Amino acid sequence: MTQDNHSGRPQGRPPEGDGRVSRVEASLRGPFLLFFVSAVVWLLAASVLGVIAALDLGSLQGGVFRDCPWFTPGRVAAAQQGLFVYGWGFNAFFALNLWLLSQLGRFEFRNGWLAQLGGVAWNLALTYGVVRVFAGELSGFRLLDFPREVGPVLAVAFLLAGFWPIVAFARRPTGHTFASQWFVVGASFAFPLFYLLAQLLVLWQPASGVVQAIAHSWFVANLLQLWFGASALAAIYYFLPKVLERTLTGYYLAPVAFWTFFLFAGWTGPAALVGSPVPLWLQSTGVVAAAMMLIPVIIIAINVHGTLFTQGGWTRAWNDTTLRFVSFGAAAFTLAGLLGGVFAFRAPSALVRFTSFGAGLEQLLVYGCATMVLFGASYFVLPRLTGALWPSAKLVHVHFWATALGFVGALVAWLVGGWQTGQLLADPAVAYADVLRAESSWFFMLTISAVLLLVGHVAFALNAFGMILKSSAPAASGRHD
Amino acid sequence: MNDRNRHSDSNRPRRGPSGSEGPSDGRLVEVHAQLSRDKDEPAEGFSLTPIFIVFLFCGFGFWAGVYLTKNAGGFSASAFDLDAPKAVVGGGPVVFEPDVAKGEQLFLANCAACHQATGLGVPGAFPPLAKSAWVAGAEDRLIKAILAGLAGEIEVNGVKYNGNMPNIGAGLKDAQIAHIATYVRQAWGNTGEPVMDTKVAEVRKAIGNRAQYVPADLLKEHPLETK
Repeated sequence: MTQDNHSGRPQGRPPEGDGRVSRVEASLRGPFLLFFVSAVVWLLAASVLGVIAALDLGSLQGGVFRDCPWFTPGRVAAAQQGLFVYGWGFNAFFALNLWLLSQLGRFEFRNGWLAQLGGVAWNLALTYGVVRVFAGELSGFRLLDFPREVGPVLAVAFLLAGFWPIVAFARRPTGHTFASQWFVVGASFAFPLFYLLAQLLVLWQPASGVVQAIAHSWFVANLLQLWFGASALAAIYYFLPKVLERTLTGYYLAPVAFWTFFLFAGWTGPAALVGSPVPLWLQSTGVVAAAMMLIPVIIIAINVHGTLFTQGGWTRAWNDTTLRFVSFGAAAFTLAGLLGGVFAFRAPSALVRFTSFGAGLEQLLVYGCATMVLFGASYFVLPRLTGALWPSAKLVHVHFWATALGFVGALVAWLVGGWQTGQLLADPAVAYADVLRAESSWFFMLTISAVLLLVGHVAFALNAFGMILKSSAPAASGRHD
Repeated sequence: MNDRNRHSDSNRPRRGPSGSEGPSDGRLVEVHAQLSRDKDEPAEGFSLTPIFIVFLFCGFGFWAGVYLTKNAGGFSASAFDLDAPKAVVGGGPVVFEPDVAKGEQLFLANCAACHQATGLGVPGAFPPLAKSAWVAGAEDRLIKAILAGLAGEIEVNGVKYNGNMPNIGAGLKDAQIAHIATYVRQAWGNTGEPVMDTKVAEVRKAIGNRAQYVPADLLKEHPLETK
């Protein structure tokens, strides 16, 4: 593969002098880099833990670390999930959402220190929570694993770090708004609300009986859809027309997508509880909401894929580093919406209930959509903020192929493996030990995928940190080709 | 692989004050706000997509209503299982159990005026039920008497009465008649089998809405069992 980087294309925008970083972007540089660097550090930590967790789970004997309680699968998987979601996902979207709405609202950020304070508080609380998880003090509620005193700190830190996009939106100079702004504002308002309510109902004043489980399922659905989904959609809606220099197909439908997305997403939680002892009407409402999510999913597909399918959009998207990641994320969002709608129904849901299938659907949204979009956005935003180039095009390709293949491999293992396990579990003639043996054979694939993801993330981190370091040392900014 | 690298975006017009990739962000917002107001671009001509989508989404809404009606267990807080919603919601199909206590209450309200609470009747006017062969044995005879009534000469325990019993049972439910008949067959030293509501319904259907029985005719259908 020859690399002639005269185009500047995976390298980002050539600086061409020093006046190219706009005042809006200059004002964002401090908080953005704090969020971004901490996000990437957490991403690396989560990737290492991901490999350890895959090794742990892949062995029926308990893995290499079976004598060390700190590295048993329960703790490692919980810590990995916490770091990936709250460390990488939140920090990265703090940065991207802030940048996005500052750009769209031409907002010059004057109180950067407040956002940085929030970012530091967020990361300290996260560190404390992860250490407690490793010490074995988990709450037992997925994605709310941290001990309960972490919750209020994270909520306050969110208000300091994650609320600025709303300020940028309120101060926008024109009356017109764009889809990206709706989704970011919605996500920024929704998260503190459902996070605090879930903390209250699950950990601080535990609601009695099944209400706790209902509140938890509601929280998980909200976190996945209203934070990760909505933030990723904002970026997809921005980067497609921006990079393709084209308007979105059927854009007048986008308001319907936004409102139906926020209306139905919050109700999809109980679909995960089908078959459990919660009132029938709640289960059925969850199923209906998950199916009705097809409305925003279809409209977003018209907007996004309609744009990509006309005038060679896919070719151009493939040839642009940012859009290659972003359109991968858009495809993953559509697939997640379709599968989520179908597998909410009672019969398919009963088959895959106690398998890895649900984890696959979750990762489709959190990794396939949100994380890939975040990667794509980084390739667009970072060169503009730092005024530097991505140091190595080779690492960009390693990053894309390692993460794309690693993710697709893991997805196949989760979905196909989950489906197969479900069928074996439903067959009374198959002994449970045989089910476990069949399931564990998929863990080999998951381990390979975890290693691939780690490789991709290291390539991304090397490239990104190299660029940031280079930009902060002006004398070394000579390498433009 | 190579053409990916040759592909350059330097030949594209750079719009916007910041001179960045693509249109400026202000223009991006303005153009899309314009699109929101003007619906389709005129050049596209008439498109079937919007009308199809409206119908599709209306279909979704209709389906959602039907699904919720059928699968929500009547929005009851105590319905948990789709496979047996009725058993949980409504207490299940009611299984009838002849109840002597209920029978006694109904007897006192409907029958005791003539037959007396003691079941001994009034000598010379109303025949007794206690130790009467008429109420023991075949349950059809008793049910028919309650449903249609009796009119004419009747001999009970060796004493003759000129009876005129109205069709009390026509105004009572099957289960109520079953309770009464069970009580009558088991009180005052009587030792008959209990009567089920299904049997009452069967008899009611068989005789329809008929006039009072002549006791002799009823005996031809169901002769007294001699001990």
